[in-house]
Amino acid sequence: MTVREGWHPIAASDDLPAGHIYAAQLCDVPLAVWRGQDGTVNVWEDRCPHRGVRFTIGSIHGDELRCQYHAWRFRSGSGACSAIPAHPTRKPSSAIRATLFPGVERDGLVWTKLAGDQDAPPQLDYAGAVLRAIAVNCTAQAIEIAIARAPLPGVRLFVQPVSFARAVIRGLAEDVSRLAEHDAALERLRRGLERAAA
Amino acid sequence: MDPILWNDWHVVADATALQCDRPITTRLLGVPLTVSRDAQGAVHVVGTDGSPIVSDVRHGFVWACLGKPARPILSIAELAEPDRCVTTAGSFGVHVSAGRVIENFLDLGHLGHVHAGYLGQEPQTAVEPYEVARLPDGGVHASGCKVFQPVSSPTAQSGFVVEYQYKVERALTASLYKSSFSQPDRFDVIYLFAQPLDEEHAIAHVLEIFIDDGVSPAALRAFQQFIFLQDKPILENQIPKRLPIGQRMEMPVLADKTSVAYRRWLAELGVTYGTVGAHDGGLPA
Repeated sequence: MTVREGWHPIAASDDLPAGHIYAAQLCDVPLAVWRGQDGTVNVWEDRCPHRGVRFTIGSIHGDELRCQYHAWRFRSGSGACSAIPAHPTRKPSSAIRATLFPGVERDGLVWTKLAGDQDAPPQLDYAGAVLRAIAVNCTAQAIEIAIARAPLPGVRLFVQPVSFARAVIRGLAEDVSRLAEHDAALERLRRGLERAAA
Repeated sequence: MDPILWNDWHVVADATALQCDRPITTRLLGVPLTVSRDAQGAVHVVGTDGSPIVSDVRHGFVWACLGKPARPILSIAELAEPDRCVTTAGSFGVHVSAGRVIENFLDLGHLGHVHAGYLGQEPQTAVEPYEVARLPDGGVHASGCKVFQPVSSPTAQSGFVVEYQYKVERALTASLYKSSFSQPDRFDVIYLFAQPLDEEHAIAHVLEIFIDDGVSPAALRAFQQFIFLQDKPILENQIPKRLPIGQRMEMPVLADKTSVAYRRWLAELGVTYGTVGAHDGGLPA
């Protein structure tokens, strides 16, 4: 699918406990999302530059991600390769690095962008409780039209385009005591959208 | 379709596992095939319309060629040695291109990590310099590779520094020569025939020709299966599934000399099927 410009939420902050590599996808681009020791959110293309193995089957060691194939290590923040065990006495070339996308954590959601010149994700007018992410088998645009036509009160919703026919609804609820109610409303929205797309 | 692949012989089944009246269906380069053995023991390969496909039985496998064979099925000198334990050692389906399967077989750098405790171990992960040359008839020859292996084969009693050589004689056939534990001056030989089902699916057929030091075919098969099942999840998580053979698509280091030579040779042969290269403008989005 065409890459969409601008910021999209791709995970919740709670999806990134220390030591975990979260697999996300935005506009067909597979992403490995993980937190460095200082809390830095890393959003990398999910693909080791050496042989293309998904970073998400690797592991976290301190402030580095270790690829599962050849145990090359990549640094939090810069994505630079810091160790190649096949050549333990050589310093890895500075050209060897993960492909990075910006990662910003805001209001309990993790945001990134693949393209575009917007500086930062949208500033929200309230910090609420993070809603459960709802994956929907339809286009991102169909979701956007549906929520523009019939806005749900008390929530701010955002759409993460995953691939052409799949997207994830993420959002925040103003009132934490109404999470279950919002969740049920989003489930109804999902069923309606999938019926319409079928 | 690339003539080099279309007119080559490919393994399509393990002949030793093909039973009378139990035909198997498979694919070669996207073409559906049925492989069967008749009551007289003869093997037949046919397309979906029942038309015969050029086929042969050799080295324990059924071979097929969809076009006109440009060369005979490769010959294997070690099969003539009387003190060898020879077995087909498994046919493993993998959701990745055949080229990625061959490249992984040629890869020294992963042994101490993916096969830790068997074909390598930390901290002895350094890949020492080795030689890569062209075979006289084209293809790749790597020699002088040395790897410390804690358990190099089913009969190895202790770790030792194993000498490795590789040959890539055909686009999707590779062989490995590794010092035998019982006779370190001779080589155990492992052939890998990668059957391209389509551009992103393959079956890895393995033939083992080991020095007969009492090892059983069952033990060789079990060991090979154990090793391959460590590789499979790695292979199936490679992006893209086709093998990148264009410049600067992936970042090799010195340890990857064999892989670099293999990719370059495939590009020279004009292999586009199952690969990503200059021919399709680089990596897909």
